[in-house]
Amino acid sequence: MNALVVAPVAVPLITLILCILLRPRHRLVATVSVAGAMALLLVGLQVLALAAGDVVLAGQLGGWQAPFGITVVIDRLGAAMVAITGVIGLGTVLYGLAREGDPAVARDFHLFIHGLLAGVCGAFITADVFNLYVWFEVLLIGSFALIALGGGKRRLAGTLTYLVLNLLATLLFLLAAGLVYGSTGTLNMGELALLFRAGEASSAATLAVVLMLLSFSIKAALFPVFGWLPASYHVAWTPVSALFAGLLTKVGVYALIRIVTLLWPEYGAVHEVLLWVACATMLVGVLGAAAQTEVRRILSFHIVSQVGYMILGLALAAPLAIAGAVFYLIHHIIVKANLFFIGGLAARLTGSERLAAMGGLYAKVPLLALLFAIPALSLAGIPPLSGFWAKFALVKASLADGFWWAAGVALLTGIFTLLSMSKIWNEAFLKAHPQGEAAIRPLRDARWAWVTVTALAAMTVAIGFGAGPVMDYAIAAAAQLAEPTAYFRALDGAGGQ
Amino acid sequence: MSLALIVMLPFLGAVLPALMIRAGRNACAIATGSVTLLAFALLLTHVPAVLRGEVIQAGWTWLPGLGLNVNFFLDGLGLLFAGLILGIGLLIIAYARFYLAKEDPMGTFYTFLLLFQGAMVGIVLSDNILLLLIFWELTSLSSFLLIGYWRHLPEGRQGARMALAVTGAGGLAMIAGMLMLGGIVGSYDLTVILRERELIQASPLYLPALVLILVGCFAKSAQFPFHFWLPHAMAAPTPVSAYLHSATMVKAGIFLMARMWPVLAGTEAWFYLVATTGLVTMVLGAGIALFKDDLKGLLAFSTVSHLGLVTLLLGFGTPMAAVVAVFHIINHASFKAALFMCAGIVDHEAGTRDVRRLGGLAALMPITATLVTVGAASMAGVPLLNGFLSKEMMLEEAVHTTWAGQGWIVPLAVTAGAAFSVAYSFRYIVHVFFGRRRDDYPRTPHDPPAGMWLPPAVLIVPVVAIGLFPETFAGDLVRASAAAVTGGVLPEFQLALWHGFTVALALSVIALAGGFALLARYRAVRRLWQAGPHPEAKAMFEAVLAATVAASRRVMHGLHNGSLGRYLAVTLVAALALGLAAFQAGGHEAGLRDSLPAPAAAVVAWLLLVGACGLAVVLHRQRVLALLAAGVVGLIVSVGFVYLSAPDLALTQISVEVATVILILLALYFLPKESPRESGRGRKLRDAALAVGAGLGMGGLAWAAMTRDAATLSGYYLDNAVSGGGGTNVVNVILVDFRGFDTFGEIIVLGVAALAIYALLDGAVRGAVGRKLAAWTPDEPHSADRHPMIMVVATRVMLPLALMVGAYIFLRGHNQPGGGFIAGLVVAIALIMQYMASGFGWAAQRMRVDYHAMIGAGVLIAAATGIAAMVMGYPFLTSAFDHFHLPLIGEFELASALAFDVGVFLTVVGAVMLALANLSRLGRKTGVAPVNEAPMDVDPLARRQAAARPAASGASARHDQPAPAPTAAREG
Repeated sequence: MNALVVAPVAVPLITLILCILLRPRHRLVATVSVAGAMALLLVGLQVLALAAGDVVLAGQLGGWQAPFGITVVIDRLGAAMVAITGVIGLGTVLYGLAREGDPAVARDFHLFIHGLLAGVCGAFITADVFNLYVWFEVLLIGSFALIALGGGKRRLAGTLTYLVLNLLATLLFLLAAGLVYGSTGTLNMGELALLFRAGEASSAATLAVVLMLLSFSIKAALFPVFGWLPASYHVAWTPVSALFAGLLTKVGVYALIRIVTLLWPEYGAVHEVLLWVACATMLVGVLGAAAQTEVRRILSFHIVSQVGYMILGLALAAPLAIAGAVFYLIHHIIVKANLFFIGGLAARLTGSERLAAMGGLYAKVPLLALLFAIPALSLAGIPPLSGFWAKFALVKASLADGFWWAAGVALLTGIFTLLSMSKIWNEAFLKAHPQGEAAIRPLRDARWAWVTVTALAAMTVAIGFGAGPVMDYAIAAAAQLAEPTAYFRALDGAGGQ
Repeated sequence: MSLALIVMLPFLGAVLPALMIRAGRNACAIATGSVTLLAFALLLTHVPAVLRGEVIQAGWTWLPGLGLNVNFFLDGLGLLFAGLILGIGLLIIAYARFYLAKEDPMGTFYTFLLLFQGAMVGIVLSDNILLLLIFWELTSLSSFLLIGYWRHLPEGRQGARMALAVTGAGGLAMIAGMLMLGGIVGSYDLTVILRERELIQASPLYLPALVLILVGCFAKSAQFPFHFWLPHAMAAPTPVSAYLHSATMVKAGIFLMARMWPVLAGTEAWFYLVATTGLVTMVLGAGIALFKDDLKGLLAFSTVSHLGLVTLLLGFGTPMAAVVAVFHIINHASFKAALFMCAGIVDHEAGTRDVRRLGGLAALMPITATLVTVGAASMAGVPLLNGFLSKEMMLEEAVHTTWAGQGWIVPLAVTAGAAFSVAYSFRYIVHVFFGRRRDDYPRTPHDPPAGMWLPPAVLIVPVVAIGLFPETFAGDLVRASAAAVTGGVLPEFQLALWHGFTVALALSVIALAGGFALLARYRAVRRLWQAGPHPEAKAMFEAVLAATVAASRRVMHGLHNGSLGRYLAVTLVAALALGLAAFQAGGHEAGLRDSLPAPAAAVVAWLLLVGACGLAVVLHRQRVLALLAAGVVGLIVSVGFVYLSAPDLALTQISVEVATVILILLALYFLPKESPRESGRGRKLRDAALAVGAGLGMGGLAWAAMTRDAATLSGYYLDNAVSGGGGTNVVNVILVDFRGFDTFGEIIVLGVAALAIYALLDGAVRGAVGRKLAAWTPDEPHSADRHPMIMVVATRVMLPLALMVGAYIFLRGHNQPGGGFIAGLVVAIALIMQYMASGFGWAAQRMRVDYHAMIGAGVLIAAATGIAAMVMGYPFLTSAFDHFHLPLIGEFELASALAFDVGVFLTVVGAVMLALANLSRLGRKTGVAPVNEAPMDVDPLARRQAAARPAASGASARHDQPAPAPTAAREG
């Protein structure tokens, strides 16, 4: 087994362990944390390069043959997710260097973030249902620690909502995993796929999987179980909420894509439900954003609506649609995290997150205005930025399959998103600051934060102009999802020790 | 290649003004101008070829997977528009140099302007509809930036947002339409699509595609009912209004209709949709324009009206009408841009552009007055000027058009529109420049510097030139572009000043007369107008937005009101609905597996289980009791495991149960004994129903799974545990070997959880919570004997025993029930007992262990065993084992999995102890009592000595103090 196949988990874990052992030395923890995040990014780029060359990494942990031992697989989708995790992880860690205030909190931030990254990466590489549950738990516990970081009444109230609903989702997943094993006798995703694709799964097994999908839907914040997300994401410290906004809900989306494409490659009842859910999610999210007046609350609701797009791609089931969903995932993680990062800078500069109390940034910090415009327009799907291609593929796929109403919802959501972004633009950037220009305070110690947001914006532009290769990658990833041979091959391997 | 360069130049050059502004305003303007000039010159090199009828193409592929190629082509239509965009752009750049005030950031302005220019040229030269869409959206965006350029004006910001919403939404509709069109043809290349007229018009998707594309065009070109955004865009600086909102961007919709004319036009649907919209827009726009007092508002509605006229002509669907449309595009662009610039001059020099405050400027601003008079006369359709020619040709076409079988409707309506047009044009001339001179102009009006009046003057030249010699100056261009619109077939025509006495001429005369009559009776007409209703588009737009927001608030409040109970209820309802739907959809025959007999003991245990659950529900507000009831549930579950021959699970369950109950009890010390009553009767009923439903569903599902025979992996594990994993306890081998990766993940969860609790409380204790704790007094009196002697002694005695048990359980784990996890819990409980008996202060001094490091070491050891395997070339976490012989001990087996188990053990102990340390820290923070140094409050030696003396005061005084730490008394 190639060491690379477990590296996405091992690297953040070793970083976490080092951080724990070095706890008292704050500066050293930060250094180790940055180095670990860089290493994870390198691992991500390496697996991405391999995947782009049609190498699917797979391995059996402990050398035990599937389905008895745990299988890990890194296909194109998994590799892309790992790579993007590396990008956002590094960005978050760098942005977090600018922490003013309690050094212990900054230290804990660096520590927990690698626990979270380990969980996220574990979820992206595993091919085993229960192991997926374990990684969900790891990332969940890391996220609890991170969201509550710094304390305070408002933050803890948000944390509680986050905690209870996510625990409920995790519990549902655990129950479902048990029931899946009880009714099929396997936890291996490849074997489950064979069973379901052959139509041999019992109705109990189907119900159990549906329950599992519900759990993922809560994690992904789909309609109607999205409530926890806008109730909690805005309370966390900026880099934390950016990491959550970009990455965390996408783990749920990833799990949905993985399980649904494995078990039901053809359009069916599950897809039909997902289609309705996707449209409702898009609309409700974007309408919810319209009623908000704080930057991060607006952006949080947009996470919900954007997740709807990805699920739309999954629901349509056609190769182009799945490719669109994959493209959307890649694009969205970068854009959304960056918007939160930039929102955080804007809030620090203007001294508020309420739109009414913000302003003047366009005149005072034009670079930030430009940096905001790029991801904001990309989010709304304005060509030629990355979001356009993602939406374009989805709309095209919807129309090709005759779901014109889904295409209509997708387009309508786009225009509302644009309105929302123009609201932030007008209020936070264009209009004068209500307390005059002097109220805009210069940022100290934010060099790395600027590097992060600039790099992410550059990636958005690059994905926009270089959409060809990215789309080709996504299309090939969709083909792999339709024919997950690596998952099946793991079952044939001569295992045992 | 030079085609692509024409498009790219403005984009590339957009950085120039931002840089050159440092060198001064002139340098900035000149740099910007040279970019445009260069592009214009490049375009001109193609003129001869295009006028010969050639089509120039260039391009490369970009996203072949999506059908997007960067293909450009230049034909007559493209040449006309690109020429207008770049030519007028050049004039605008010059004009803006003098128009913008010193404090306006000119570099930004020119940058936006060039971006817009590039996008616009991109639209008209694209040979790929996807590429066209990209440029289309870019124009909406750059227009948003330019309208909001004066960022201190709220109406600018709002107008910009409205324009973006309307044109952006239209653009999205168009994306859908274009995708359909591309789907029909199988290509997104315009040159391919334009050849497939029959295929497209026969397709069932023709109508939806047409409607969607037209929505995009109408929105962009401000056609009814999307016309309302244009007047609000007039908050932009005048150069922007002149350029974007009269000469170029609003013509993008017209351009696209002309571009798609060969394949989309000629059907009934096209005629009724396009011609009707054009007709309504033309009349309505002209009518409103007459009553606008803001010069730019007047011109804006006049633009709406003229665009309607062109739309009408395109809607007729005849080649001759298309020729007239092209001709009018040229004419309108020249006089309207000039008039806008002049309005800007008036505004700039007189300080206002409100018609009611102006008048008599002719003598003060003779040059401007001349330019406006010529331009507006052309707009009105006065002979000898170009506006007259195209208007008369339009009337000629209108006369031959029947609408719904009625031949009079179109001529009547266009004549009315023309009359309005005459009236507002002359209002611009008469009410601004003639009449009485006033003495209350906000500024002293005078003609502007040449840089400002020259650009409009340049545009007035063709107005006159074409008006006098149409065939000479415009014939070739009109022919080349019209041929591109119609797809090659052109009727024979001559652009001429005099067509003889025709019906059109009569209508022209009527319109002129009517217009003058309207203006003569302006006050009366205006009163009539003001009596009618005036739907205010901006108010409606904002009302729609506000209604959306209000509706979303209501929906959000229903789903998402911040109440945890609501979220949980929504989640459970979703789960139930989904489960029911899946149950209905799938088959639901009963399972076939025989159920086991239920002996009395099992029934009793089950009843206890149900009873304890019910008790927990009933008592949930009494926290301690509810916890105890939950503890009973846990214990019965572990008994169940014993009953079902799962000793490992039973051991784990029971030790977890004990450890968590102890920790929660310690935590409960800080909370009120009762939780507040939170829900009323209705809520309780709802929640009960949901809970019962969810419980039944889950039970049913478990039932369904258990009554069916399914394959299991057990056989393999049983067969391989000894041979492959070196252990006879299959459960432990599964945990540390077969599925060691899961366990690995779980110890991380445990470790991180402990660290998280620590971090959370650490921050809290130092913050507001710490102050609250310091001021806190427990709500119940403490036990007098905080650290009872009997407990101290018992736990001290038990410690070595418990440690021994832990070691035993740990070591036997691989072969007998036990293992690192259980051993860790046992040891941790034994240690907790010491803390409980003697207090944290005493115990911590005797066990100086950094629990953080312990957790780290645990995870590290577990990871190291996995990595060691990899170093030796095996998969991660591969185990190895062998048998060894030691004197005294004899034959024994060592498995590498044991090292993994050590990691588990350390992590568990560290995590539990860290959680405990936290709780005790909270307790000490309360400052209720000092931290004890001695193992017990009662020192037996001291008491004996005290008994010797008559009065013992010291110890008993300490007795009265409340205990600092969570008390063992409540526990034991």
